[in-house]
Amino acid sequence: MLSLAPKVERPAAEAPLVSATDVQKTYFTRQSPIHAVASASLDVARGEFVSLLGPSGCGKSTLLMMIAGLERPTSGSITLAGEPVASPRRDIGIIFQDATLLPWKSTLENVLFPIRILKLPMETYRDRAHGLLKMVGLAGFEHKKPGELSGGMRQRVAICRALIHDPEILLMDEPFSALDAITRDQMNVALSEILETYRKTVIFVTHSIREAAFLSDRVVVMGGRPSTIILDKKMPFPRPRRFEIEETQEFAQVCRELRLTIEAAHGHGQDGHEQDAPRPASSPAAVSVIE
Amino acid sequence: MAKLTIGTETGAVLPASDTGRFRGSAGLSSVVLPLGLAFFVLAAWQLYVTIFQVPSVILPSPISIARYIVDRYDILLMHAVPTTLESAVGFLLAVLLGVAIAVLITYSDMAREALYPNLIFFQLIPKIALAPLFIIWLGVGSQSRIAFSIFIAFFPMVIATTAGFLSVDRGILRLCRSLTATEWQIFTSVRFPTALPHIFSGMKIAITLAIIGVIIGEFITAQAGLGYLIIFATARADTEVSMAAIVVLCICGLLLYGLVALAEMVANRFYSADSR
Repeated sequence: MLSLAPKVERPAAEAPLVSATDVQKTYFTRQSPIHAVASASLDVARGEFVSLLGPSGCGKSTLLMMIAGLERPTSGSITLAGEPVASPRRDIGIIFQDATLLPWKSTLENVLFPIRILKLPMETYRDRAHGLLKMVGLAGFEHKKPGELSGGMRQRVAICRALIHDPEILLMDEPFSALDAITRDQMNVALSEILETYRKTVIFVTHSIREAAFLSDRVVVMGGRPSTIILDKKMPFPRPRRFEIEETQEFAQVCRELRLTIEAAHGHGQDGHEQDAPRPASSPAAVSVIE
Repeated sequence: MAKLTIGTETGAVLPASDTGRFRGSAGLSSVVLPLGLAFFVLAAWQLYVTIFQVPSVILPSPISIARYIVDRYDILLMHAVPTTLESAVGFLLAVLLGVAIAVLITYSDMAREALYPNLIFFQLIPKIALAPLFIIWLGVGSQSRIAFSIFIAFFPMVIATTAGFLSVDRGILRLCRSLTATEWQIFTSVRFPTALPHIFSGMKIAITLAIIGVIIGEFITAQAGLGYLIIFATARADTEVSMAAIVVLCICGLLLYGLVALAEMVANRFYSADSR
């Protein structure tokens, strides 16, 4: 299997595929401006899987939507393959928390929806749709309606739909957070398998530490008020990844570090770098809240 | 994976098999019971009229009404045609007008703010009171009845269609925007099909209101039509004829309602069909 990790010794000439520089997003309301993202700079290399991790309201989804071109940054710049992002682009596939399928269309038609919108030749992509559905274990469900599928299956359809037009970049906004824990674990494994076949650059928003550590090449922790990037850490685990890595000491160690970083940013004032701050005795309880 | 499948299959199939049961052998009662009740009421009516020798001016018997319908179907048909046609035209125009206004309300904030409160106020007018004015404005021809029919039928169309357009899943809209979809693409492939069930429930209300509109128009002034026949026969104390006209009116209403239901089935099939 191919490794998804960014190629070692990538020459400096290879520019990052996604680059956000000093991005700031402020929503102006009647009362007072809300600083969703105070300042964020982020580079994502081609083929890399980067998670944006943080508690609710830390601006991670906002940053993702700005990369998608669905929101405009108040200041700062975002480039995609060197071009500034001013509006949505065709070479992006997006997956939201809800599968957002058209309930009156079959599974197959939902997967082909982007092809219809992008006015690409249906015939060319129909085989690809069948292949994708087979890949995610939905062969035989092509003509079922979304109402006949489980939540996990619907989210698989959404993944196929995001991949159908073969975008460079996959943006995933808490895609599995509406699923139950068991299905969620299955989806994590399924996603890494899919990406072993269809290599993509992925930016994945989540508030699950384990999920971020399991899936990513790099985990970027966002937090603090106002929110910034407080940690950018490479995940040292080899690919392909299976559940077993979650049982390793190393995995536990990485999760612990991520957790402490988040807690430091939110339990101890504004500065996210106080990692050596004394831990309160109640920190295990705090973990369950975050997870 | 396999377990997942089984779980959803039962979840999905259950409601379907429930309806299947109603249609099946036990479901005979859904046909037998209403028909049985109707038959019972008619039989009681017939017996009452026969035993107490009720004069037919007060209450003609079901059998005599039926006989009149069979014998004079030519006259009834002659009057049914203009009523049905005018109702259908009024209904179609009300649907077009209603959907157009709903589009306006959905896409223009200014239109929404200007129109919506006025529409609600409009709805509070007892519209039947305005029917004579339509005759003054538009004359005694069918145009005044059609206009009045549109007038009372379009309101539920506007409300239902607007609700449908606004019920679109925001996530799907975001997905469309991320795919650089045009407003027109979003309208045709997402907004309109999402609104269809709302539009059709609006249409089912509108069709009955459209018929009422035409009948009221005919009560006021007409040279033909079932409403005219009812008024004419009642004035001559010919209760049998007016009852027969009402029965035919029900049949015409049922026919138009059936056409709407048929259109709904066709539309659903069209939108859920796989692309060629």
